Amino acid sequence: MSDTLSAPAGAGRASAPPPGSASRRSPARLLKPLLLVALLVVLLALPLYVEEFWLRTGFAVAGAIVGAIGLNLLVGTTGQLSLAHAFFLAVGAVSYTYISGESGGLGTRAALRGLELPPIVGMVVGVLLAGLAGLLFSPIAARLRGIYLGVASLGLVFIGVHVLNTWTPVTGGFNGRSVPEFSLFGFSFGNDDPQLFVLGVPFRAAERLWYLGLVLALLAYLFARNLLRSRPGRALQTLRDSEVAASVMGVNVQAYKARVFLVSSMYAGLSGVMYALSIGSIAPESFGLTVSILYLAMIVLGGLGSVAGAALGAAFVTALPLVFQQFADVLPLVSAPGEGGVAAGIAARYLFGLAIILVVLFEPGGLAGFANRFRRRGRGSARGPGSGSPSAGPASASSTTVPDPSDPPAQGSSTR
Amino acid sequence: MSAPAAEARTDVPPVEVEHVSVAFGAIKALSDVSFTVQPGSIHAVIGPNGAGKSTLFNVLSGVYKATEGEVRFGDARLSTMRPFQIAGVGVARAFQNIALSGAQTVAENLMLGRHHLTKAGFLSSGLRLPRATREGKVHGERIREIAEFLDLGPKLHTPVGVLSYGDQKRVEVARALCIEPRLLLLDEPVAGMNAQETVRMADAIREIRSALGISIILVEHDMGMVMSLADRVTVLDFGRRIADGTPAQVQSDPEVIRAYLGSGTDVDPAEAAAAHGGTAHGSTAHGGTAHGGTAHGGTAHGSTAHGSTAHGTADHATDVPGSRP
Ligand SMILES: Nc1ncnc2c1ncn2[C@@H]1O[C@H](COP(=O)(O)OP(=O)(O)OP(=O)(O)O)[C@@H](O)[C@H]1O
Ligand SMILES: [Mg+2]
Repeated sequence: MSDTLSAPAGAGRASAPPPGSASRRSPARLLKPLLLVALLVVLLALPLYVEEFWLRTGFAVAGAIVGAIGLNLLVGTTGQLSLAHAFFLAVGAVSYTYISGESGGLGTRAALRGLELPPIVGMVVGVLLAGLAGLLFSPIAARLRGIYLGVASLGLVFIGVHVLNTWTPVTGGFNGRSVPEFSLFGFSFGNDDPQLFVLGVPFRAAERLWYLGLVLALLAYLFARNLLRSRPGRALQTLRDSEVAASVMGVNVQAYKARVFLVSSMYAGLSGVMYALSIGSIAPESFGLTVSILYLAMIVLGGLGSVAGAALGAAFVTALPLVFQQFADVLPLVSAPGEGGVAAGIAARYLFGLAIILVVLFEPGGLAGFANRFRRRGRGSARGPGSGSPSAGPASASSTTVPDPSDPPAQGSSTR
Repeated sequence: MSAPAAEARTDVPPVEVEHVSVAFGAIKALSDVSFTVQPGSIHAVIGPNGAGKSTLFNVLSGVYKATEGEVRFGDARLSTMRPFQIAGVGVARAFQNIALSGAQTVAENLMLGRHHLTKAGFLSSGLRLPRATREGKVHGERIREIAEFLDLGPKLHTPVGVLSYGDQKRVEVARALCIEPRLLLLDEPVAGMNAQETVRMADAIREIRSALGISIILVEHDMGMVMSLADRVTVLDFGRRIADGTPAQVQSDPEVIRAYLGSGTDVDPAEAAAAHGGTAHGSTAHGGTAHGGTAHGGTAHGSTAHGSTAHGTADHATDVPGSRP
């Protein structure tokens, strides 16, 4: 150790590399980027080989990934329990449909209104409006925490569903309305216009949306990861562990809570637009409380506070029912709707109900924590919580998830 | 590390605590407390358990609002400011009950101390704009210096949650230093440390003062340490200021002796406090568990209900208040 402490030298010393960067280069570290590149290549090539069903599932998963990452920033990283996610999804989806949709139509659709603006405008404005809705709610969010915030945010979901049912010109009412196809600078993400073949494989809506989903999910992922590894991310994590400590260390707690709510609802807005594109229509029952809860399930399953975990959880929760449905005839005990046995959707629910209980009991770090543990074993390194298995947010039993502090008195109870 | 004292700060104003009272319903945690901390001095605040020391820190750092009175730090009226603004004028605090983020590494916890010195926002961080990345590197260097100063160098990338208690206490102090404070509030920095760690922390505090020229307010039960470090001592009991003076003056003050023993017997308060806090500075008896508070509470205060808090336990209400809804 050095026995002296010099006064701050100002900001002039950028010479040395950031602490620890050199010592942590190892073959294992080089392997990781290689694996990521390989994964990316596979994902990019997938439309050449797999059926439409998988591509459509992939796009639905991408939409859910965006939403789950957003919710995880709020709930997992910052510890702000929100049940309002479905509401912000709805704001995104409805805004997109209204702004880029057409007015009028046959029969009951005659009453529908739409601005017929380019879909990219609809998407951007949808995200911004969801953010605005989040911003309007954030003064409430900044003043509440834990279960109180959860219950307050629940109110938004009820309001949302009511509006969806009654504001017929915009939302289509309880029948819902269909969603305009996405397009970007004249390139349609529908089946043609232009017709497209790559290596002899026709690239239709499913293939095109797959790439759209890939890009959007990747951007959402990178943004969140960068965020968490830098100044605002550290502030948010400290805020989750102790608001008092965060504020005494110079963090404007209320402003940060408001901002993370804004970011999270913008993620939800984008996710809502993607959901609408993936289903092709919007209806009130797509944005009910169940959806909020499914999103909470995703982030708990995936690992609270972990961006990769949110993605894994989203994939699991979204893809499972679809896959069950698709393969109802070959899976034992699972049936197509209307036949004997357990319906596909219900079977999926049993399964992740079970998965959630198992995760909370045995690996509070979620799928991400599980993966970390696996990786650590592979490297044979010492035990210790990695950054991917954060201490708990409010949605899980807190005492079991604190990473084994050698000093029980200080961590946890008094600061949480 | 370069020659220290030359660069010491010259912009440290006095801290003026004037007639501060804090009440929680019927409990008067502080009543009419006044004292002044001279620039660049180590000012100890001592008193039995529940005397109001942490409450005083909560007022100084803006966590509690004073019911009456005022705290000034130069031009800044701390008693009207919010905690993050107080950090912004260079007031840093190390918590009595560790309030670190267990899942984050030491470096990440220390980086939080740089929060008010850095600017990267949500957008520039999420997009990894060059200015956000550069900022992180520049401050990383200073953080390493501070970590090494407090023996934490090798542990920079260890999650705080797996560190020993002594290490976590040092991270608390290091994080406060990372604010580049002009006023450092240390709430029992050696509680729970072993003898060797205690000596090193005392040296570190001395060094911080002489190298940086900042003011330090020290709350500590370890009387040997207090008396050897402090330039001035303020004694609280039941929220009242019962003495204020040099260590020698305070040690011979009859009221202080009474407060520590609950009677008028003429005993050296240093010894009394040692018995009280379960610590004996510098002696080998200073075990790691000393602050578990063996003979705490009841014995020293005799008949009063005062001081019944078990020192060093998790549920200390006042150190980090209000983190629950
Ligand atoms: N938020 C609060 N609500 C109710 N009472 C409080 C609160 N904060 C502090 N008190 C009371 O104020 C008194 C002073 O507490 P404080 O924590 O300041 O003592 P202390 O001198 O720091 O003690 P210790 O040496 O044990 O740390 C105690 O009686 C405590 O119970
Ligand atoms: Mg205290």
